[in-house]
Amino acid sequence: MASAQELSDFLSSVEKRAFKQAIYAVRDEDAALDIVQDAMIKLAEKYGDRPAAELPLVFTRILQNRIHDWFRRQKVRNTWVTLFSNMGKKTDENDDFDPLESLSAPDDSEIHQDGAQKLERSQLLLALESEIAKLPVRQREAFLMRYWDELSITETALAMSCSEGSVKTHCSRATQTLAKALKLKGITL
Amino acid sequence: MKHLDETLSQTQADQFGRASAALLTQGAQSLPAGIKDRLHAARMKALSIRKVEKVLVQKPVFAGTMGNYSSGSNSLWDTVGWVAPLVVLVFGLIGIAQWQNDSRIIDIAEVDAALLTDDVPPDAYADSGFLAFLKNGPLSDSEDSASDLSPSK
Repeated sequence: MASAQELSDFLSSVEKRAFKQAIYAVRDEDAALDIVQDAMIKLAEKYGDRPAAELPLVFTRILQNRIHDWFRRQKVRNTWVTLFSNMGKKTDENDDFDPLESLSAPDDSEIHQDGAQKLERSQLLLALESEIAKLPVRQREAFLMRYWDELSITETALAMSCSEGSVKTHCSRATQTLAKALKLKGITL
Repeated sequence: MKHLDETLSQTQADQFGRASAALLTQGAQSLPAGIKDRLHAARMKALSIRKVEKVLVQKPVFAGTMGNYSSGSNSLWDTVGWVAPLVVLVFGLIGIAQWQNDSRIIDIAEVDAALLTDDVPPDAYADSGFLAFLKNGPLSDSEDSASDLSPSK
């Protein structure tokens, strides 16, 4: 059983990463924060008595489920909004809305302090995050779980409820796509 | 990544993935302060409702008479609850068996008494000589004479 301190340390270590993963998916800062908070509460409330070693996989699954739930709610809400907007006066206010534009760039306030190297890092990160946000959902999930969450192929397959072969395929395609996209921008990792 | 051609080998893909993860981790550390504060608040809220492993706590028993009585009476009533119906059932079955036995004895005694108080002992009916006596004896003659006399009448 994970102690309160272990749980706190675990949540502290994953909260920023979880927020980033959520924002790559939903592209909305407030929604991403809500998703991460819900996931942390669910983990603490329902699985707080699990061993510390099980927490990463459980948290990843909860987070992914919360993201999927958010998309389901959005789909239902958009259906009703579309229905009522067609019945009423149509406005073109949101027609040219691009979700990628709402992706927040990292805070640039420190860039000038650390010079050109930090600026380069920041631009590199921005480009990488932009390309990750463009990946298909399953490829992005597999890539982030495998390399950022450092889950094994088996654990990733378990978290994504798919076969290990699918995980390998998603990961491979995501890596190839990202590498090609960054190469086109002249970026090498 | 530097030797990227058309596709990456598995090793190159893993290197690319790890390099990307390291970059993403650095980026995640430089989140705005407002976001960090809200994440911290969310973590604190989650920890406040953390599920705690259930610990078995023995029910306190008071040292006084009431405590012993209450706990003792509970166990006593529990025992009585299943023993009493069993005892009633056993005694009931014994009573029914006894009553049936007595009634069978009484029936046999009544039959025996009726047979023994009759004019002819019951063994006589099993004697072939007695049957012959009945057929050819004085009773038979009297019946015959009576039958002989009756036509003359």
